[in-house]
Amino acid sequence: MKNNKNNLDERQEQTLLRIEHNGCCLAFWGLLAAIIVQIILNFDFRNLAGEWIVFMLLALYIAVGCMKQGIWDRRLKPDTSSNIAVSLTSALAAGILGFVRTVKRFPDKIAGSIATGIAYAIMIFVVCFAGLQFSAQLFKKKQSELEKEPLENEEE
Amino acid sequence: MRNLKLKFRRIELEMSQTKLAEKVGVTRQTIGLIEAGDYNPSLKLCIAICKALDTTLNDLFWEDGENEKQ
Repeated sequence: MKNNKNNLDERQEQTLLRIEHNGCCLAFWGLLAAIIVQIILNFDFRNLAGEWIVFMLLALYIAVGCMKQGIWDRRLKPDTSSNIAVSLTSALAAGILGFVRTVKRFPDKIAGSIATGIAYAIMIFVVCFAGLQFSAQLFKKKQSELEKEPLENEEE
Repeated sequence: MRNLKLKFRRIELEMSQTKLAEKVGVTRQTIGLIEAGDYNPSLKLCIAICKALDTTLNDLFWEDGENEKQ
């Protein structure tokens, strides 16, 4: 028989949400780690398609969900300096990944591998910074819209 | 911080944690955790508990300044 009634009380519901939150984090970072490992091992990008699609859908869902609710981050602020810091970190990680991937494939071409790593880093920095700046603008616009929204019980 | 006021009121009415849990629609464990101070109930649940114990929010959940710091 179909039972739509929630069997959990509010504490159990909160606990379940916390467990689901941890599961979501595990899936997100686990997928990212799996993708990175496969990139380092020089797997064909076609073999990564499944993981990549799930990872991107998860990232997109979180980003859109947060944006709609006017939420940015627990610690970071949507300003240029934070966006530069995040983009530089991502660029550094991508640069190292690009270098390791190339040097593994062509062990005798260190200079070329370094150049590849730098190219990866620059590319990721530009894409990441542009994306963050654009998202920050959208976020600020959404937040000002939410601030202007009248509350249901607010007197006219 | 343990909610002894809730515990004493429940005992005063000779009501078990299970009985109170049934009355307010939660598990016995939730009542136990509220009494132990390990779970902060929502206002909705606080009101339900007060009604079940025939008392007020002030009597069960209000803490004065000194107790709050403990």
